[in-house]
Amino acid sequence: MKKLTYFPGCSAHGTSEEFDSTLKLVLKTLDVVLEDIPDWNCCGATSAHVMTENLAYALPMRNLVLAEKLENTTMGIACASCYQRMKVTKVHMDENPELAKRINTTVVEEGTYQGKVDVKSMLQYFYEDIGVETIREKVTKSLAGLKVACYYGCLLTRPKNITNFDSPEYPVSMDQICEALGATATEFDYKTECCGASFSISNTEVVLNLSGQILAMAKESGAHAIVVACPLCQSNLDMRQPDIEKQQGIKYDIPVFYITQLMALAFGNPIDQLKFPKHIVPVEGALANIGKVSPVPEKVKKPIKAVEAESEVK
Amino acid sequence: MARVGVFVCFCGANIADYVDVPQVVEEVKRIKEVKYAVEYKYMCSDPGQGLIRDAIVQNKLTSIVVAACSPRMHEKTFRKALSDAGMNPYLLEVANIREHSSWVHQKDKKAATEKAMDLCRMAVAKSIANEQLHEISVPVTKRALVIGGGIAGIQAALDIADARIPVVLVEKSPSIGGKMAQLDETFPTLDCAQCILTPKMVDVASHPYIELIPYAEVLELQGFVGNYKVKIKKKASYVNFKTCTGCGACWQKCPVKVPNEYNMGIDKRKAIYTPFPQAVPNKPVIDAEHCTMLTKGKCGICKKVCLPGAIDYEMQDEIIEREVGAVVVATGYDMWDPTPYEEYGVGRFKDIITSLEFERMVSANGPTNGVPQRPSDGKVPKNVVFIKCVGSRDEAKGIEYCSKICCMYTTKHTILLHHKVHDSHAYVFYMDIRAAGKGYEEFVKKAQVDTGTTYLRGRVSKIYKKGDKLMVRGEDAQIGQVVEVEADLVVLATAVSAPKDNPELARLLGISYDKYGYLSEAHPKLRPVETAKAGIFLAGCTQAPKDIPETVSQASACAAKVCGLFAGDTMKKDPMVSTINNEYCSGCQNCVKVCPYGAIVTDEVPIGHGSKELRTVAKINEGVCQGCGSCVAICRSMAINLAGFTDPQIINEIVSI
Repeated sequence: MKKLTYFPGCSAHGTSEEFDSTLKLVLKTLDVVLEDIPDWNCCGATSAHVMTENLAYALPMRNLVLAEKLENTTMGIACASCYQRMKVTKVHMDENPELAKRINTTVVEEGTYQGKVDVKSMLQYFYEDIGVETIREKVTKSLAGLKVACYYGCLLTRPKNITNFDSPEYPVSMDQICEALGATATEFDYKTECCGASFSISNTEVVLNLSGQILAMAKESGAHAIVVACPLCQSNLDMRQPDIEKQQGIKYDIPVFYITQLMALAFGNPIDQLKFPKHIVPVEGALANIGKVSPVPEKVKKPIKAVEAESEVK
Repeated sequence: MARVGVFVCFCGANIADYVDVPQVVEEVKRIKEVKYAVEYKYMCSDPGQGLIRDAIVQNKLTSIVVAACSPRMHEKTFRKALSDAGMNPYLLEVANIREHSSWVHQKDKKAATEKAMDLCRMAVAKSIANEQLHEISVPVTKRALVIGGGIAGIQAALDIADARIPVVLVEKSPSIGGKMAQLDETFPTLDCAQCILTPKMVDVASHPYIELIPYAEVLELQGFVGNYKVKIKKKASYVNFKTCTGCGACWQKCPVKVPNEYNMGIDKRKAIYTPFPQAVPNKPVIDAEHCTMLTKGKCGICKKVCLPGAIDYEMQDEIIEREVGAVVVATGYDMWDPTPYEEYGVGRFKDIITSLEFERMVSANGPTNGVPQRPSDGKVPKNVVFIKCVGSRDEAKGIEYCSKICCMYTTKHTILLHHKVHDSHAYVFYMDIRAAGKGYEEFVKKAQVDTGTTYLRGRVSKIYKKGDKLMVRGEDAQIGQVVEVEADLVVLATAVSAPKDNPELARLLGISYDKYGYLSEAHPKLRPVETAKAGIFLAGCTQAPKDIPETVSQASACAAKVCGLFAGDTMKKDPMVSTINNEYCSGCQNCVKVCPYGAIVTDEVPIGHGSKELRTVAKINEGVCQGCGSCVAICRSMAINLAGFTDPQIINEIVSI
């Protein structure tokens, strides 16, 4: 049995409740026990870090200090924004002890920041700490036949010097996990484009445009569904999909799964525990492809005609 | 008693802004041996040197201290001033108060001034013990080594050889010609590269004063200017060049196919091959890594078909030695690998190629007979996007510097595309168009008009695939919008980078290189072809990215330097060399071990006057000695003395502070 410190973040209790609950199903199969950070607080995402430096660092630092009171050396975070704020804070504090000292004057009661706990997104935890092979071994119901476009968004692998995980432009970790589950990951060039993020509320047009392009490219890649590991990405691509369809006049009908939902499914959990009714875009059409393995051969590409070097025979 | 003159330089503002020069002068005037001290704005200028000359004569000075920049910069200048005033030039001491004080202590003028005073006191104290020294004459080996057989090495070798000085030209690949042999046409006149290069290659091979050693590497360089010994490894070619006629039967019959480096891997060559049909020497070599006879002992076809019997599978690498007086390094450049540009899909999309791959495609002797083709499906591309500065001017993913040639060759590529595919359209994403050179701006302007190329000022942020097209998304800064171009083919103008072997070569030659791996010149403006090591010169891109005209100019400049070096029968050398006092030498030979130049050997001398019994002592070859002082430091019996750095001089320096 492994233990992992867990930072749920606010969305796990609201819009991404299905991420949180299926994550717990998956970790049960993988024999990992989550320990919530006692009395955790908001990570400060979006508002704090554009307002004040002190608050932007102090909010995550309080969580990091509280996490040090648990024995585990790694903190797993489901939400990409929470992960970003926590990881940025950790990296900056570790690089700059003077800064850490200054911010620690705001986080007084909880104790001194020591930098003992590593911060990982759940995707990174699955990929690095569990491993693709272990995941493959736990699959009882292969997802073969399902084609997915893995969408990472902007925060899970960027900036590279902060996350130090996978590629900032063309990551493959989620693709490999999906392949381990039996699904096919499509060649999807928009996997790190911006979905519009929190403009969903303040300037919805932006999200309709940007998320619309992602949906179009996912469809173009031949995917039945999109897979994400970020609550905001999921909400923009799923919840805004009807609006996008209305605006563009195109019917996408492409459901947006959390990676944990597909993992839980492949690990043999009953479908009624996977919270599919919470989705705006119905999932049944996409899931119907599971088991239908189409015998389409790989396109044979014609190589360039090589011209034999002229040789002079004397 | 010693009469010392001290001359403190402002170096414009370089020293004076951070060191209180008049105060330094006042301070040194307190030293009793100092009979004259003065400050001046530029001591190295003619009036500055005049000050020194006049003061020597008028004040009957016995030694001189110049407090200015590094002795590497102007020691020679000031020594000459001493000579001109009739004084032995080695009675000069330089106190380096610029590099060692004003430049490094810019935040603390008081401390910088105090340090400058200390440096002056030390130099004065040392100069009091200075002795008159005289230059040493050493013989010169009038033969030059040229490393690298691209256009730079070819030009340098030909120019030196034309002055009837023998040249050894070492090239690591089987043929000379370098990157220029891979080019189709050259900017800004569109001469065919082959037509202007291959005659020069033939000249090299047939020149009576050039010994061409292809398929070889320099292993070791020993000695000093005028008297270097070089070890060269001739890699086993498995073909006896003396009997081979270059008929081509072997490579026609060879069954092993290997990606062809000359054509950037677009087509295949055989395991026994000449790099290209116009190769010099036009003799094949066997690629030992891929030949099945050499790796598995199976095949042997080339030996069977070779009528002159030139194939020898037992051939071994051979190490040869040559004596040379000067070295020209012309190892060229590498093309930067664009793999870090993941947002462009480099490596995932076959229809993204580098500019050198495009060059091979449009080349008349290229793998596609001069017509560009998409690597994915062999179709002739209509819409081609050229992206400049891939790797260049990119601190995040690539290299900070401008590669200098990409603006021009991309312009050339748009013309070549237009010539080969009439109904094509080129798009160029650029940051700036840097067309500084004779006829360059005119060339770019004319190309823009003639080809109708769309120039888009901005960076490309992403390339993605849509059907069988590549969508290139970038900024068009002139309309302030993001644009997308549908491309059949994308050509990346990848940066010029230093040869990856340069650091190793630099260590082997004992010269320095910069953070990118380019070899360093002695002075960026005034000594651009010399290195800091006497007798070693740089030509072409191994020093920094440059185009063909500049490379050829620099190569010819190297040749002029080599010819100048060899102009006399002997060479003058600084007299700062070690001497051994046999009376003190115990013959322990520690100095022999530490000498990095191999300048110390052993000798036998009688134990005493008239004695027939002999004992071993160390002996220094003053022609080889570089005056580093290692032997002085290791000698337990204090038997070694280094002229110009004698014990009294050093002790004086220490005592003075």
